[in-house]
Amino acid sequence: MTDTVTQNVFDKIKTWARVNSPWIIHFNSGSCNGCDIEILATLTPRYDVERFGIKLQGSPRHADVLICTGPVSLQARDRLVRTYEQMPDPKFVVAVGSCAISGGVFQGCYNVVGDISEVIPVNVYVPGCPPRPEAIIYGVVTLLKSLQG
Amino acid sequence: MDNSSNPEKFIVNIGPQHPALKEPGHFEFTVDGEIVKNASARLGFVHRGMEKGCESRNYTQDLYLMERVCGICSHVHAMAFALGVEKLAGVQAPPRAQAIRELIGELERIHSHLLWLGVAAHEGGFDTLFMFSWRDRETVMDLLEKLTGNRVNYSANILGGVKIDINDEQKDALLKGMDYLEERTHHYMKVVTEDETFLGRTRNIGLMTADEARRLGAVGPTARASGLAYDVRVDSPYAGYPDFPVKLMVEPAGDLEARFVVRINELFESYRLVREIIEHMPTGDLAVRVPRRIPEGETFSRVEAPRGELVYYIKSNGTDMPERVKVRTPSLCNWASVLTQAVGHKLADMPMILAGIDPCFSCNDRMVTVNRGSNALDWSWEDLRRYGIEYYK
Amino acid sequence: MSETKKTTEELIQNGRQIVQQWIVSENTPEAGRLDVSIKPEDIKPCVKALVETKWGYLSAITTLDHPEYTTAEGSTEKVILPDKGSIELLYHFCESAAVLTLRVMLPYENAKMDSICEIIPSATLYEREAIELIGVELVGTPTVDHLLLPDDWPANVYPLRKSFTGLDKVKGE
Repeated sequence: MTDTVTQNVFDKIKTWARVNSPWIIHFNSGSCNGCDIEILATLTPRYDVERFGIKLQGSPRHADVLICTGPVSLQARDRLVRTYEQMPDPKFVVAVGSCAISGGVFQGCYNVVGDISEVIPVNVYVPGCPPRPEAIIYGVVTLLKSLQG
Repeated sequence: MDNSSNPEKFIVNIGPQHPALKEPGHFEFTVDGEIVKNASARLGFVHRGMEKGCESRNYTQDLYLMERVCGICSHVHAMAFALGVEKLAGVQAPPRAQAIRELIGELERIHSHLLWLGVAAHEGGFDTLFMFSWRDRETVMDLLEKLTGNRVNYSANILGGVKIDINDEQKDALLKGMDYLEERTHHYMKVVTEDETFLGRTRNIGLMTADEARRLGAVGPTARASGLAYDVRVDSPYAGYPDFPVKLMVEPAGDLEARFVVRINELFESYRLVREIIEHMPTGDLAVRVPRRIPEGETFSRVEAPRGELVYYIKSNGTDMPERVKVRTPSLCNWASVLTQAVGHKLADMPMILAGIDPCFSCNDRMVTVNRGSNALDWSWEDLRRYGIEYYK
Repeated sequence: MSETKKTTEELIQNGRQIVQQWIVSENTPEAGRLDVSIKPEDIKPCVKALVETKWGYLSAITTLDHPEYTTAEGSTEKVILPDKGSIELLYHFCESAAVLTLRVMLPYENAKMDSICEIIPSATLYEREAIELIGVELVGTPTVDHLLLPDDWPANVYPLRKSFTGLDKVKGE
């Protein structure tokens, strides 16, 4: 059992590593793609999130942060849960778009759950239909800042 | 490479987590050695129940709902819906509104084709082209935002016309934007038709003859790249197209290269149309009044989305809510063609062939699996994509 | 390719002639469109005739629910009789600007007709959608795997029927 001083140092290094280079995985739970193309736009030269060390990659097993869009269609729900479960701890979720918050315009439609937090816990919501790439980046940065504190 | 005659099962889980395609899908191919023997699809992840949803919302709410069938072609969905309702109500949007509708429709086509160019390039491993085309695409995103206030889901349509106008400052910005994009597009055309590595992955790949395209029900640029002269803007002009017609862009070759060339040619044509509309923009009102209750009737509204023919069937019953709204999107037609084309091709060609039809999952979400042998192997789309790139090195 | 481009009206008349022998009734809902009601058993010969003469392409298959209503006791409120209505299928064929629609009516208790996939293979995607969303049997269709609805969607529950008002209402029964 390590003493508290060493533990604090390890924690700071872990946070620093996580905060400075979060690996992100993207999941579309049934969205119209509007949010997803704005997320993809953050990788492109004008916004270029990679310069912040944020890396978008394909496997949940290596991800720190799950960026999720869409109103969670019934078919996507199980896969969303499975993706979340495959992520190692500590893990965080950013829900992007009005649909992810409340179902957006699809509220009440028969094949839709609505609010992502009914399926998995959410740390940050980024509202908009769709939110601008700047807003999405801001959402991710807000999450990272909260980890630093 | 195992060339046994026992087909193996390769399950390629595009899965809902897929960086490049951005949409949930699951593909199934049966492969014998390298060659695809069978391909099939399943949909489901993005099905939201919108057609039913329309029946319990009034026409104005439905306009906002249908805009979000697809974030990439949102305007064209709203326009098809609005045109249909206007026909049922017996009104016609004023000429200025129709011209603005066409203008935004063409700007949307530009953004969609540039988006596709980047994504298709990414599928083939040409990430520089992806970055360049998406950077250039920001020009048209800025223009759309300048005109309508939003980069995506622009909501320019209302029942009876449009809700945004265009002033001289915006016109100047549009003209400058078109000049810049046109110059960049010449460069893309060069890459697509002259770069050796690119041609290695597109020339004579994914061949579909005109007869096959017709038989398989292909529409849009996918059909036009096989020599079929299908374009709703030409066959059945709507909105501003009678006054500002578009030229049909057809390529006879029927391979992947032709699909790239057709879309790039359409970009040039869109730039031309935007300039023409700006120069000859009709004056007048932006909208006419549409009653809240729409008289009974049935209408069939056809428009040309960036991916092909988009069809709305609307049945009204005299109330302020529709009886039935049916949407048939272009990607649904083009899927059948891709599943047939896939047969006989190498597994390594699958990512490009799939990207070649410009699939829009949210328009029709789908799943596909790869079968290679009795033990189904789970691959991610990223694996399949890398496989394709490695194969062609 | 014809030398002179036919007008929309000429194309409509052309199409009408091709399916003439199967017409039960017809209607012109708007300019450039012709609706033709045919008997369910005539769908295949009708579609074959259009395909063989290369009149247009199948653009979409729309499904319509025609429920039957009764009024609740002592009130004027309409109540749906869930087992008594009919389903209508509309096969839309487009040739240039002309649209010819074949309309077929099927009662709920015998919502069954032939698939047209033998003639138009790509119709399978439209047919699957119709089968699962409105509840119709299309004999000979190559696959009835769910296209849009989730795998665990309850059987015999058809979302596009007017009597369907939400999955929770179904589960509550």
